Amino acid sequence: MGRVLTIEGGGRRWWVSVGLLGLLFVLLALVVPLAIVVQRSLDAGFENFADALGSASFIRSLGNTAQLAISTTICSAVIGYPYAYAMARSGRTMSRILMTALMLSFWTSLLVRSYAWQVILNDTGLVNELLQAIGVIEEPLQLIRTPAATLIGMTHILVPFTILAIYAQLRGISPDLAMAARGLGATRTRAFWSVTFPLSMPGLAAGSLLVFVLTLGYYVTPQLLGGAGNPVIGQSIVEQTNTLLNTGVGSAMAVLLLVIVIVILGVAARFLGLGRVLGIATERSTR
Amino acid sequence: MNAGVSVRIVGVLIAVVLVVPTIVICATAFTGGSAVTFPPQGFSFRWIEDVLGDRRWMRAFGNSFAVGALAAVFSMVAGAALALGAARARGAIASVFTAVSVLPMIVPLVVGAIGFYLVYARLGLTGNVVGLALAHGVLGLPYVFVNVLALLRTLDPRIEEAARIHGASQLRTLATVTLPLLAPATVIGGLLAFISSWDEVVVATFLSDARFQTLPVLMYGQIRSGVEPSVSAVSLIVTVVTFGVALIVFAVGPIRARLARRSSRS
Repeated sequence: MGRVLTIEGGGRRWWVSVGLLGLLFVLLALVVPLAIVVQRSLDAGFENFADALGSASFIRSLGNTAQLAISTTICSAVIGYPYAYAMARSGRTMSRILMTALMLSFWTSLLVRSYAWQVILNDTGLVNELLQAIGVIEEPLQLIRTPAATLIGMTHILVPFTILAIYAQLRGISPDLAMAARGLGATRTRAFWSVTFPLSMPGLAAGSLLVFVLTLGYYVTPQLLGGAGNPVIGQSIVEQTNTLLNTGVGSAMAVLLLVIVIVILGVAARFLGLGRVLGIATERSTR
Repeated sequence: MNAGVSVRIVGVLIAVVLVVPTIVICATAFTGGSAVTFPPQGFSFRWIEDVLGDRRWMRAFGNSFAVGALAAVFSMVAGAALALGAARARGAIASVFTAVSVLPMIVPLVVGAIGFYLVYARLGLTGNVVGLALAHGVLGLPYVFVNVLALLRTLDPRIEEAARIHGASQLRTLATVTLPLLAPATVIGGLLAFISSWDEVVVATFLSDARFQTLPVLMYGQIRSGVEPSVSAVSLIVTVVTFGVALIVFAVGPIRARLARRSSRS
């Protein structure tokens, strides 16, 4: 045996060639299609981009998307933080109950959850029936096909990512630190805000970033809950390609969305580390 | 320091809101009436029987299952290969392997869907299992990649070296030593890839046609054209399958952790 055995009995070159097999698959199945989208968006010079950015409805959908992404991120943080805190800082039974509820929701199909909110927020749905039964309202409220309905659905679907990110962070912070603060005379509230909360910031930031970026690409939930009245970017893109059969302009819009996502993640990676954010993303699917 | 009572109460209230949608839909699947209302009117299995006896739903069910299974195979092969490359190559090449494996997670589904459609339509890969499985396979690949990479970090390199020293070729070592060691993580990743394919709508809509539809595509069309209890019944079936797969993932997880402990102890 003349050759020296290196790297787990294979040699580097061997493992590179194994990796190349997977690389080839991603190139053919995903990178080539993305390249074709870019090519299609440029098939008339920059005209498709000019058309996209010149259309009032696309600009409006950009605004709607930004608004939805910001409000979903804030709602997820506000709802997710106390949940993650209760999960990380309670007895075994309580933690288990909260984790089980989270997983039940998380593992329910995105489409089923959007459909469920449609049923719940309907004119004859659970919320309206309840409000009418206790006499708060006479006529059913228009809940479905409003931006509020989209926000409720999106928050419900994405809040698990925020919760898991904060929970992971909180689990890494010793409860003794807050206890020490209490021992030195801080109130419970003060101990939380000046010790635990600052230390949990990286988890909150990573979860929030992930929710923000994921919201940008959603199509199904806004379509089912918000209706076509206040379209988000995803709806504009699908309308261009499927309804108006204008793949050039649709591709230009898609390229713009992809660039926005990559720029945000690129900037965020400098501060948070992309691995942390994407690690949470693989906890469970998706979009 | 434990969470106060008020935080716990808030936690429980949020927990209720988290599970209500799932419960509502599962309950409406058993309605005796012909409208989707909660609480349901009466109790019956008629909508579930309806769906199970409907050839359109059953064909979609079969399509979804076939696409998910084939997509999981693609994800497992390519994801494990990339994880091995990323863990054992060096420098720029290792970074490229990682970047490429993460890419499917970053691309918004609508953007991917247009690309898949533009390319796959030209190759005759729309309206069939293979095309959609290729797309879902690449989208599910990160689940396999992340899980296999985590296991690779805990693997004892001497096991594979021992095989080589005893005269096994590179390929034989890979097939009979490395891959079996990686199997638990690969299977977990594959199951997650299956689930992500199982409830994916956007790409599936772009790559389906009137004759070939998956369960989510048919459900989505049905929801848009008017809600009826059969959609709840299908949702129930979809949810039961997903939870079943999830339970397997949770069952395999501890096995994997045990294996990792065992190999790191040696």
